[in-house]
Amino acid sequence: MEVPAGFLVVYLLFSCFVASSYGVYFSSLNETLIVTATPTQGQVLKAGEDQISVTWRFNQTYRAGTDSAYKTVKVKLCYAPISQKDRSWRKTVDLLKKDKTCPHKIVARPYTASNNSFTWTIERDIPSGVYFVRAFAFNAQDEQVAYGQTTNAHKSTNLFEIQAITGRHMSLDIASICFSAFSIVALAGFFYMEKRKAKGSQEK
Amino acid sequence: MPEIEGSPGSSMHGVTGRESVMAFSVASPMVHTDRTAKFDLPVDSEHKATVFKLFSFANPHMRTFHLSWISFFTTFISTFAAAPLVPIIRDNLNLTKSDIGNAGVASVSGSIFSRLVMGAVCDLLGPRYGCAFLIMLSAPTVFCMSFVSDASGYIAVRFMIGFSLATFVSCQYWMSTMFNSKIIGLVNGTAAGWGNMGGGATQLLMPVLFEIIKKAGATPFTAWRIAFFIPGWFNVIMGILVLTLGQDLPDGNLSTLQKKGDVAKDKFGKVLWYAVTNYRTWIFVLLYGYSMGVELTIDNVIAEYFYDRFDLKLHLAGIIAACFGMANLLARPFGGFTSDYLAKRFGMRGRLWNLWLLQTAGGLCCLCLGLVNSLPLAITFMMLFSIGAQAACGATFGIIPFISRRSLGIISGMTGAGGNFGSGLTQLIFFANASFSTEKGLTYMGIMIMIVTLPVSFVHFPQWGSMLFPPSQDIVKGSEEHYYVSEWTEEEKQKGMHQASLKFAENSRSERGGKVASAPTPPENTPNRV
Repeated sequence: MEVPAGFLVVYLLFSCFVASSYGVYFSSLNETLIVTATPTQGQVLKAGEDQISVTWRFNQTYRAGTDSAYKTVKVKLCYAPISQKDRSWRKTVDLLKKDKTCPHKIVARPYTASNNSFTWTIERDIPSGVYFVRAFAFNAQDEQVAYGQTTNAHKSTNLFEIQAITGRHMSLDIASICFSAFSIVALAGFFYMEKRKAKGSQEK
Repeated sequence: MPEIEGSPGSSMHGVTGRESVMAFSVASPMVHTDRTAKFDLPVDSEHKATVFKLFSFANPHMRTFHLSWISFFTTFISTFAAAPLVPIIRDNLNLTKSDIGNAGVASVSGSIFSRLVMGAVCDLLGPRYGCAFLIMLSAPTVFCMSFVSDASGYIAVRFMIGFSLATFVSCQYWMSTMFNSKIIGLVNGTAAGWGNMGGGATQLLMPVLFEIIKKAGATPFTAWRIAFFIPGWFNVIMGILVLTLGQDLPDGNLSTLQKKGDVAKDKFGKVLWYAVTNYRTWIFVLLYGYSMGVELTIDNVIAEYFYDRFDLKLHLAGIIAACFGMANLLARPFGGFTSDYLAKRFGMRGRLWNLWLLQTAGGLCCLCLGLVNSLPLAITFMMLFSIGAQAACGATFGIIPFISRRSLGIISGMTGAGGNFGSGLTQLIFFANASFSTEKGLTYMGIMIMIVTLPVSFVHFPQWGSMLFPPSQDIVKGSEEHYYVSEWTEEEKQKGMHQASLKFAENSRSERGGKVASAPTPPENTPNRV
């Protein structure tokens, strides 16, 4: 019984490794979509207030019929390398299902070759950082088959900055001060009262 | 009293066959029960309870137990409240990996200092004030999270909240004043373990609060700040309960008793000296850093680890992380129980072996946790690791009360501080560095745990022995009285300040193990014999 049990453990461990390498790789995709967005290089936008207008179309220089498999397009907000530094939870990985570069969805639309645009108000849970926009084309099996992005291959041009909301509110600050004061005053009050009682019982 | 206890042939242990095996109570032939005292539970000569009735709230013993563990639980909730919300906080405050790691280090470092101070405070002012002051003064620091807007603010606030973990010392100290040494392992283990569960409960509580507040309409970056108010309120409520319902000692409060002259005041310098010059203190300071310390470290990193590595949702990562901390419900008392159980047969040597085995097993499972790639295996090793590390914590505090009677408070404080120091150190070395991944950090930490646990084999008690060596055969040096009374000078003995240590020495004779019945050691040590 020893050998099969050991073999089973090894097989399970191995299969965990193997299973994780299935999927679409970014390096296998072609940049067949042309994507443009309104923010210019270095522009600073405010989360919750400013808007981004994205347009995308099929690049006609590719052979006609390349886009026959495209069914949907998902447009995403992606981190530029500077915002990924020292933040391994935003790491770029070639295997797309493990890739964390583009976590924020802007819009998802059925695919048409041209005349696509969308205006998006930057959501209030977008963190501060430097970004670009990328669009993925998906086939009927919901796998990525092509992409397009507003920056170059090195992700160094046409990057814009977003400033997040602080999340702080005046009312929260005031509530916080009130409860803190209560805690200190209650403690001091008890301490003083007990000291007085102890003194009283000693004097008896 | 008709017969002299302990004289040959007088022990009744085992005669009826109905003596309890489990360490939930101490049968009266083993420990002299004080029948003149009017308490709900049977007590010994120091009025400490000899029975542990879990579901009772009887004043003072069991009520103290519940107040104590719940306050400690509350501080754990506050200290680790940020950990499961880090995926949100890191986006709000634009944190880097080293910011997060440093905040984790900060959250456990503050209490290194406060635990040392708390030991002295308990010795001098009593555990009730110590506990209440700490939790009520740290409530404002929890509320401060609403002001934080960058990495440095975040680190500073987590540092300040972390001071409240010193309630551990008041908790353990309070238990040691209320419960007899035969069951202290189990009692301390249970109180501390259930308190430590707060580190797990918070991983469950905070994401749930966050989701509810988000559903109520707040944006994520505001919702997590609001969620922090709940731990803050817990702090205030527990502080008030401790002040109104608690008392320091079975016979009353410390200041009242000191003023009445019942409890002698001791000098801080002396108490510190006897703690620091005992080499056993330092070994346990080191060891606790790698049982409790690694538990705190995992409380800080594990939710984020599961969220990032296995791509889980926030509340799911929180649930798994919670399981680690919640294992304390049974794991830590289990360590105290096995310590007491092995002590019945093998005495102190059994306690030491128990500690070494549990802690080393925990280290091995931590190593494996970092190596596995599948979620079910990761959870399995995490749970085994939690049991090993937490039971080792319980086992440690089954031994600490015996290192010294005079300086128990400071030694508890120093050991507790060592726990936090170990946590800060392991987070700094293994988890604040962008150069290796969290899983590698876990593996290296497991190796370090196994190495650092080896020094427990050097702990030797002349009257009881050590892991590898038997006790001293010398009649004088091999007695409990000699060990505990050696902490007092001749002057102090003439003032009678050592009486409590004598009582303790008598009660601690059970640490010799199974051969107690045949050792004809007289219980009374008149001053001119010492």
